[in-house]
Amino acid sequence: MSGAALLEVAVGGIAIGCVYSLLALGYSMIIRASGIIHFAQGEVMMIGSMCGLSALWLAPALHPALVLLAGMAAGGVLAGAMELLVYRTLRRRRVPLMNIITATVGLSILLMNAARLGWGSEPLRYPDLFSGAVEIGQLRISPQLLWIAGTGFAIMIALQLFLSKTRPGLAMQAIAQDPDAAQLIGINLSRSMAGTFAVAGAMAGAAGVMLGSLFFSFFEMGFITGLKAFVAATLGGLGSIGGAMLGGILFGLIETFGAVFVSSAYKDAIGMLLLIAILLVLPQGLAGLRKRGR
Amino acid sequence: MRWGTPVTLLAAALLPSALPDAFLLHLMTSVAIAAILALGLQFLLGVSGQLSLGQAAFYGVGAYGSALMTGAGLPFAAAVPLAAVFAGLSSLVLIPVTRLRGPYLAVATLGFSIIAYLVIKNEEWLTGGSLGLMGISRPALFGERLRDPAHVYWLCAALAALVYLGLRRLADSRFGRAAHAIRQDEDAARASGLRVTLIKSQCFVISAAVSGLAGALFAHHIRYLGPADFSFWKSVEVLIMVVIGGVGSAAGAILGAAVVVLLPEWLRAVGDYRLLVFGGAVVGLMLFGSGGLAGLPGALRRRPEARP
Repeated sequence: MSGAALLEVAVGGIAIGCVYSLLALGYSMIIRASGIIHFAQGEVMMIGSMCGLSALWLAPALHPALVLLAGMAAGGVLAGAMELLVYRTLRRRRVPLMNIITATVGLSILLMNAARLGWGSEPLRYPDLFSGAVEIGQLRISPQLLWIAGTGFAIMIALQLFLSKTRPGLAMQAIAQDPDAAQLIGINLSRSMAGTFAVAGAMAGAAGVMLGSLFFSFFEMGFITGLKAFVAATLGGLGSIGGAMLGGILFGLIETFGAVFVSSAYKDAIGMLLLIAILLVLPQGLAGLRKRGR
Repeated sequence: MRWGTPVTLLAAALLPSALPDAFLLHLMTSVAIAAILALGLQFLLGVSGQLSLGQAAFYGVGAYGSALMTGAGLPFAAAVPLAAVFAGLSSLVLIPVTRLRGPYLAVATLGFSIIAYLVIKNEEWLTGGSLGLMGISRPALFGERLRDPAHVYWLCAALAALVYLGLRRLADSRFGRAAHAIRQDEDAARASGLRVTLIKSQCFVISAAVSGLAGALFAHHIRYLGPADFSFWKSVEVLIMVVIGGVGSAAGAILGAAVVVLLPEWLRAVGDYRLLVFGGAVVGLMLFGSGGLAGLPGALRRRPEARP
């Protein structure tokens, strides 16, 4: 395989990796703040994707950035509402974590089937948000891929700034580290928790628009993608923001190269095997590497 | 509760005479098989506190194992237990993983389940690939093919009852109490001299073997196997059964299995909204209380006392 083709595969891997990273960030933020494995994260992504597409149907000339924003808004509102209406109620009743996790599965089934009724069961194509191709020498890279990778990185940097520089972001970090101490210094736990879910949902919504524009929107798209992103988050170390970003991109690259070089039928298996292997050596994921180094 | 078990067993045994419809009996057989599957996870999660999202893999090993063995000429009565043993053995691959905790164990078993699904889907020479295996033999006992759906039901219900009683005895044994201690506090259990990793692995293997038994019965009950029945959804379904029933309650697991199998069938009346309602019902049941269905009577009993 020539170097140019190799680079094309790599760009594809990074682009799909960005989608996983954005989703994995949501998993990581939620698990760190509340302990919940949010199985409905993939469905939030799917709803974001559908809403972005619907925005395009209403206004075909919409700027891609606004489509992305529509997806993010939909995902954020949805995830925030899920926290306020379901998970918060469950937590207040001191229900075991296992039950809350099962409720996320229930919500996931609910959303998937609601989308099937609302948007139909056929895969829906996104119109091309970008045309032409970027040519570097003999290399042709689809603008979609570059757009996705660029936007993905921009969003992740924005999230990092939000979490480390702004007051609401710092409050979210605080409740994740120690909810009692955070409440003692006057942080509104309820609001920060809802904020965490909303931000995680917005990330998922962005991932949905990206994945939709890369392939298509489909009511079942969230399921397997969500699982893979969860695996990516675990790969990076659950609860670690940097780990989730790294894990997602790594998982995207492994999967894409695995499909090209090993076997496309077993492309999902390669990532899983690697995951099990890594967990055996580093039970805390890649984030455990840094702790061990200290 | 002392009367509960014999009365339920009697009711389960008399069910075929009360259900004249062959389809309903077929469904009840599916409930019995699902109950075995749920009891397997209930033992793992409720007794030893390990969350597995890979039960579908062991269910699949049991199902394909038994189907292939009877296909090769082995009698049903030998193939089914052998398939369960195979499923138990296949879980040994994952033993190194049992030292992982909480979500990490869940993800590792989830990964295993996805690999197993892909093997079932792609290895056509062994499993028939996406087309699946057809014409699997009927269950047979003492050289007699069981053609009457009531007989198949009795067989599966009896095995479900045996698994229920067996796992309950095991949970109350010295071994089961050790597993309980690990679930409550792994470090304290280790400090008291329990061989934590060994006990956790043993629970894992037992749970896998029970799932394999359910899979083997499923193969001969439905008599067709395709990859779709062994996807990650199956693992999720089992988890829903256990949690709806109430983690820690074996009777609840059976109840949960009945709900998960029967509710979507019953909801066929609402057509396209079927799974929508099912998802809503799962969320609603979680809102009821911590004990799931098994905790409902207790929750209802407690409520009047709470009022002044």
